Amino acid sequence: MTSERIEVRGLTKIYEGGDPHRPTLDRIDLDVPRGQFVSLIGPSGCGKSTLVRVVAGLEDYDEGAVTVFDATPRQMCAAKAVGFVPQTPALLPWLNVRRNVSLPARVNRRAGKGAEHPDELLRMVGLEDAARKYPHELSGGMCQRVAIARAFGTRPDLLLMDEPFSALDEFTREALQWHLLRLWERMSTTVLFVTHSVREAVTLSDRIVVMSARPGRVHEVIPVDLPRPRGDEVTGPRGHALEDRVRASLLGAWESGAAPDDLIPQ
Amino acid sequence: MWLPTVVAVALVGAGWSWIAAEHPYVLPTLSEVGRTLVSDPVLFVENAWSTLQIALLGVAWGAGTAFVLALLMSEIPVLRRAIMPLAVVLNVTPVVALAPALVVAFGFGMTPKVIVTAIVTVFPVLINVTTGLRSVPGPALHVFRTLHASRLEVLLKLRLPSSLPYALAALRVVLPLSIVGAVVAEFVAAGSSSGLGTMIRNAAANAQLPHVYAAIACLATMGVLMLAFTALLERRLLFWHESQLTNPS
Repeated sequence: MTSERIEVRGLTKIYEGGDPHRPTLDRIDLDVPRGQFVSLIGPSGCGKSTLVRVVAGLEDYDEGAVTVFDATPRQMCAAKAVGFVPQTPALLPWLNVRRNVSLPARVNRRAGKGAEHPDELLRMVGLEDAARKYPHELSGGMCQRVAIARAFGTRPDLLLMDEPFSALDEFTREALQWHLLRLWERMSTTVLFVTHSVREAVTLSDRIVVMSARPGRVHEVIPVDLPRPRGDEVTGPRGHALEDRVRASLLGAWESGAAPDDLIPQ
Repeated sequence: MWLPTVVAVALVGAGWSWIAAEHPYVLPTLSEVGRTLVSDPVLFVENAWSTLQIALLGVAWGAGTAFVLALLMSEIPVLRRAIMPLAVVLNVTPVVALAPALVVAFGFGMTPKVIVTAIVTVFPVLINVTTGLRSVPGPALHVFRTLHASRLEVLLKLRLPSSLPYALAALRVVLPLSIVGAVVAEFVAAGSSSGLGTMIRNAAANAQLPHVYAAIACLATMGVLMLAFTALLERRLLFWHESQLTNPS
């Protein structure tokens, strides 16, 4: 029987030279059913980015197990079933927008995985007119839209996003959240989304995983029971109540761990 | 905008003319240099071509070897540890000192001169391209790795293009340097019959200062043309790089 979920079991990671009593990730258990949008939120140093990188197969771990739909993270990558959006757009500046978006189709052809047409991807993020432009001709928000279109390029089963909007101004950030939601509703991908923003987590997610720092643990998992597709409820009383609940949980997470001083729940 | 340059050139010219008039054995007058150039342009063009050939062949060999080495070193760490110390020693060795030995070994033809020039150009290219190949930003590398790109794909589609600005910066240094290498090799290779370096050496031995400075003027012109060529290459190939995006004021 195949498992239709991401399963993280007892995942522990100690960085080399780090304190073995305060692992970066300490016995993390997490289940994400296929198709869910799950946000990871928590104070700096709680290991949320590390967790995403482990699920992406970019980092090793010391104990526990990670399976993604019954495969290892590296097997998922080999099958081009993972899309990754880093914090910076990480576009290739010598390629135009269209070539950047079609990059996943042009590497690792052995996987034999079909790809979305680049023009169609660009249309979905509203950048069809910028196809021939180069990254240095675009704004930060446009670059991040290109990066998202690129990540959707292989129709990934799993999309991993590591604070993709954190470098953008608030207005651009909100616009991009709606772009992302529309894409996600269309492509029905499973998403792990790292964020610092409570509002962002509530707007986007089915569930919010609140993590605590030093050691990095799952503090609480909060379901977001707002109707899909998301709309005005996000800014309505129910949305606000959820935001308050997440903030309270973050405060609890902060008090339970040896948090750095720079934690300011937004 | 051009005024400061014009004034500076005029001042240097005036100073030169004054010294040349007072001390004819220190500097020839500019008009003498000019007349020497005009009197036998073919001689200068032929010798310049001879030197240029050595310089360019030297760059091709030196930079080419360095590029291949840099590729191998970036892919095979053991090679980096093995080769880097040798390259550093080679770089601090005054290659001029090697030149006579190379002449003994390879005769008076082009070979020893090309070798000297090549050795001069290896190190800057090696260092720059090695740095460039390793300067790939982490997030872009993560994207490639989550796509399970092969090492060759990472090299061709990510590392090599990222290293291009470094490679061209090296070329900017190495092209003028190759002229220095070629001229020095010509100085040392006694009995060689052509090249601006040979010309300078022979003219200086006969106290023909106008010839010496005419040949130097040719060398300077070659250097300027090479710089212009690199600038053109950079504008063409690095249109996407921040070095080309700021408008020169």
